[in-house]
Amino acid sequence: MAKGKGMTIPPSILIPCSYISTESNKTGAWRFLRPRYEEKTSPCSAACPAGEDIGRVEMLATQGLFKEAWETILRENPFPGVCGRVCYHPCESACNRGEFDEAIAIHTIERFLSDTAARNDFKPVLERLPLRKEKIAVIGSGPGGLAGAYFLTLLGYACDVFESMPEPGGVLRWGIPSYRLPLSALRNDLSQIESQGVRIHTGRRITRDSLEDMYGIYDGIFVCCGHSASGSLGIPGEDLKGVANGLDFLRRVREGEVPSVEGLSVIIGGGNTAVDVARSVIRFGGKALIAYRRRRQDMPAFKDEVAMLLDERVELRELVAPIKIAEEAGEYAMTLGPMRVAGEDTDGRALVERDGNTTEEIRIKRVFKAIGEVAAESWLEPPEKDNDIKILNNCVMVNRSDHPAVVFGGDLTAGFKSVVNAVASGKEAAIALDIVFRKGLDSVDEELANCVVGDGPAHSMEIHMKGERYKRSSHIVPYEEINTDYFSFTQGITQPRLLKDERLCTFEEVDLKISASVAMRESERCFNCGLCNQCDNCYIYCPDMAVVHDSSINGRHIDFDYCKGCGICVVECPRNAMSLEEED
Amino acid sequence: MKRVVEGSEAVAEAVRLARVNVISAYPITPQTHIVEFLSEYCANGTMDARFLRVESEHSALAALIGTATTGVRSFTATSGQGLALMHELLHWTSGARLPIVMAEVNRALAPGWNIWVDQTDSLAQRDTGWIQLYCEDSQEVLDTIIQAYRLGELVDLPVMVVLDAFFLSHTYEPVDIPDQKLVDDYLPPWEPKFQLDTEKPCAFGPLVTPAFYMEMRHAIAGAMEDALEVFPQVEDEFERIFNRRYGEVEAVSCDDAEIILVSSGTAASTSRLVVKDLRAAGEKVGLLKIKLLRPFPVDIVRRVLASAKKVAVIDRNFSFGASGIFAQEIRAALCNTMKHPPVFNYIAGIGGRDLTADVIEDIYRRAKASDFPERESEWVGLQEV
Repeated sequence: MAKGKGMTIPPSILIPCSYISTESNKTGAWRFLRPRYEEKTSPCSAACPAGEDIGRVEMLATQGLFKEAWETILRENPFPGVCGRVCYHPCESACNRGEFDEAIAIHTIERFLSDTAARNDFKPVLERLPLRKEKIAVIGSGPGGLAGAYFLTLLGYACDVFESMPEPGGVLRWGIPSYRLPLSALRNDLSQIESQGVRIHTGRRITRDSLEDMYGIYDGIFVCCGHSASGSLGIPGEDLKGVANGLDFLRRVREGEVPSVEGLSVIIGGGNTAVDVARSVIRFGGKALIAYRRRRQDMPAFKDEVAMLLDERVELRELVAPIKIAEEAGEYAMTLGPMRVAGEDTDGRALVERDGNTTEEIRIKRVFKAIGEVAAESWLEPPEKDNDIKILNNCVMVNRSDHPAVVFGGDLTAGFKSVVNAVASGKEAAIALDIVFRKGLDSVDEELANCVVGDGPAHSMEIHMKGERYKRSSHIVPYEEINTDYFSFTQGITQPRLLKDERLCTFEEVDLKISASVAMRESERCFNCGLCNQCDNCYIYCPDMAVVHDSSINGRHIDFDYCKGCGICVVECPRNAMSLEEED
Repeated sequence: MKRVVEGSEAVAEAVRLARVNVISAYPITPQTHIVEFLSEYCANGTMDARFLRVESEHSALAALIGTATTGVRSFTATSGQGLALMHELLHWTSGARLPIVMAEVNRALAPGWNIWVDQTDSLAQRDTGWIQLYCEDSQEVLDTIIQAYRLGELVDLPVMVVLDAFFLSHTYEPVDIPDQKLVDDYLPPWEPKFQLDTEKPCAFGPLVTPAFYMEMRHAIAGAMEDALEVFPQVEDEFERIFNRRYGEVEAVSCDDAEIILVSSGTAASTSRLVVKDLRAAGEKVGLLKIKLLRPFPVDIVRRVLASAKKVAVIDRNFSFGASGIFAQEIRAALCNTMKHPPVFNYIAGIGGRDLTADVIEDIYRRAKASDFPERESEWVGLQEV
C-alpha cells in the first residue's frame, strides 16, 4: 500500500472494461419482430370532409410554424379563414383527446392560423403540377366552385370562374351574416385563391345557352352554382307581401340594406338559414320566433348556433307547423298547428305528424321562409342516372361524346349542405377531372379511391399529388392506441365571445380572436394521432441504440444490424406512429 | 452548530455537507423524510445537485451506477422492501467498484406489512460487497455518512449507513451540524480512479471469462481488507477535525466483565443503561457495540471477548434455519481461537417490538443463569399464540 495524505492508499482496482466496440455483436440477428416508422391517419382528418391534415397542422402550430401550418391547411382547403369560423367542425367530435379530457379546439386554431397569415401577409408556397393544355370553366364562385377551380389550378389547369353576382363568394358573401363571417375574413381567403391564378369573372350569369357555347372553348365544366331559390310551404297566404324568402333577406342585409323589422317576425324552418335570419332580425332590433315542425335536437342548424340563438333571446317553438297566413289590418295572422313525433327517419331525426285538430293563431308582422333551398333553374340539377353519368361521393360527372366532361357539385349534389362539404365536392370534382384528362374515364373510381383519407369519404389533394401524406397508412388511430402515459390532463380553451348584450346590437363578429400563446398551448394538447412529431421516445428508449438520427425527412431510421425487435420503441411511441410486424 | 433535528434531517444535512452531486431514490416509509429533505434542498438551491426521480429502488441504484461511473458523488436512501428490490444492483455496485453511499433505514420485511425497525433487511445484504455501518444515534448517523464517502472513495467500495426505523429516522435529537468548511477540509472532492470518458469510450462490466473473474472477486476481498485497515485512519482524521470518533466496535466496561452483551443500533443505547445499572448493582457485565459489520473487525472482536466467561448477543433480526445474524458473526470470529467463551443468542425487538431495559436485563439474567446455550438462539418476549 502506498502512503498519501496521511493515509495508506489501497492498490489500484481490478474491474472489467472493454475498449472493443460492441458493434461486432450484431444483435439484430436475434430479431423476429420488426419495427418500422409508419405514420397513420388521425381520426380528425378522416372526419373532416375536406380531409385536412389536422394532426400535422396542430404539430406545426405547436412549434410556432404558423405559416407552414397554414400552408398545410391550404393543401386541402383554400378556405381556412371561412372554415375556421363557420364550419361545424366534425373533426372535433372525432378527436381522440375528447376521450381523455376535452377535444382540441381545431376550428379556433384554424381561424387563428388564417388570421395570422393575413396579418403577416404570408405568401403560401404550395406544390403545383406542371401546366396542362386543358381549360376548365367553373359556374359559380361559392365555396364549392372556388375550391374546384383552386385545386384544378394547382393541378396545372387554367380555370375561369363565372359568377352572376357583382362579387365572388356565393353563400359566403351573400348568405352567411357578417357576425359569423366578416367580409375581411372572406376576402383574405378569396385573394389567396386568386393569387394562385384562379380567374374569377363576376357579373357573368350563365344560361343554358351560354353553357353550351362553352363546350367548344373548355375541356371541362364544373357546375357549382348552389341553391338560391326557396322551397315552397304549400299553405294559403304563402304569396302575401309579408312572406319573404330567408335567403333573400340575408342577401339584402349583406348588400348593405338596413331592413325594417319592427314587431314580431316568424321564421319557418330549422336550418342554418333560419337561425341566421332570426339572429339578424334580433340585431336590427326586431323580435324573432322560430317555428319548427320537429324538435330542437332534430334541427339541421349547427348546435353552437342554436345555443347562441337562444342566448340572444330568440324564441324557439318546437313541434309546430304553419297552416295558413292571412293579412289583417297591416299585420298578419299566422295559424299554427301542433305536431307530434311519429317515428324516426334514417338519420335518427323525428318524423312528425299533425297532433289533433287544434290550432293556434298568432299576430305577427312578417314571415321568413327558411325551409331549404333548391336550384334556381332546373337545368342546373344534375341529370338522373343513365349510362353517361358517374355518381361520385360529392358530385356527379356527365360524360357524353358530344360535349366536354361536365361535373355537377356543391349544394346541387350534396346530401349534407355545408361550406366544408362544398369544398369536398370541389376537390373531388377537380381530382376526378384530373384523372379523366391524365388517365381516362375508366380510371376515375380506382384513382379516387386511392386518395381517400382513412377509409373515406374525404379525399386528400396531397395524397392525389403523391406528397408526403401518400406514404401514410390509412389505418385510423383509435384512442386505445394512444399511449396516454405521456399526456396529462389539461383544460382546453374556451372560445372568447362578445358579451351577449353587445351581440344584440351589432353585426360585429361574435367569436373573438385568441393570442398566439393560447393557440400554441391548445395545439400542444393535440395527440398528433398516428403522426411522428419527433418526440424521440424511440431513440431514448431503444436499449440497443438502434435508432439512428439522420438527415432524412423522418429524422431517424432503425439500424437493423442491432434492432432486436423488442418493440419498446413501438410501445413507447405516444401516438402510434410506429408499427411492429413479424419478420418474414 | 447544534440543532435539534429529526434523524432524517441529520442524514440530509450530512449529504449536503458531503457535497453530493446526484441523488436518486424512491420514497418508502420510514426513509421518505430523508428524500423529502433532499429533494427540497435540490429544488431550492440549498444543494447544487440533481435529484433523479425514478420508478423504483432498482432504477434508483441503476441510475446511480451510471452517475458514479461518470465520476460524480452519488447518494441514495431506502428501507426494507426497497432495499430488497435493489438486491441485484447492490452486487453490481460493489463489483463495479463504485463508492456510492446509501442511508438504509432498518425496516421489517413483509408479509405482514410492518414499517417498524428490524435489521433483517440490511443483514440479508451483507454478502453484496457493501461496507455496512450500524449507527446508534443521529449524531453518529451524520458523522458516519460523511466518513462513508471518505472510506468508500479510498477503497472504491459502496457504503451502507444503517439506522433504525423511527427510533432514529423520526426522532428529534440535538445534533452538532458542522461547518461546511470543516467538512470540506475533511472530505476532498472525489478523484475517481476511473470514469466514463467520451474521448476514450469503453464498456464497463462486459463478459469476463473464468480466466479473470476470480481475480476480480479477489480484488474486492482485498478492498474489504483495505477498508478494515483504513477505517481507523478515516476516524483519526475525523477526530482531529471534529473531536468525535466511534470505532469499528465500542467496548463498554468489558475489561473485567464476566458476561458481555453484544448489540447494535439504538439497542446499544439501551444496553448502555442496563450495563450501567447492573454495574452499580455489582454485576460484572460489559457491552460490545458492533458498528462495522462489513468488513467484520474479527481481531478486535476476538480481543474484546477473549477474557469474558459468556457472550450474550442480542439480535433484532433472524436468519431462518440458523440464528440471529450478529451471533453468527461473533461465533464465526471466535471459533478459530483456542479458548473462547460460549455465545448465547437472544432474539428480541423483532418488527419494532420494544426492546426495553427490562428485556435486556432479562437477557443478562438468562445468560447468567445458564452454563451453556441450550439452543442456537432463544426468542425473548414471545406471546402465546
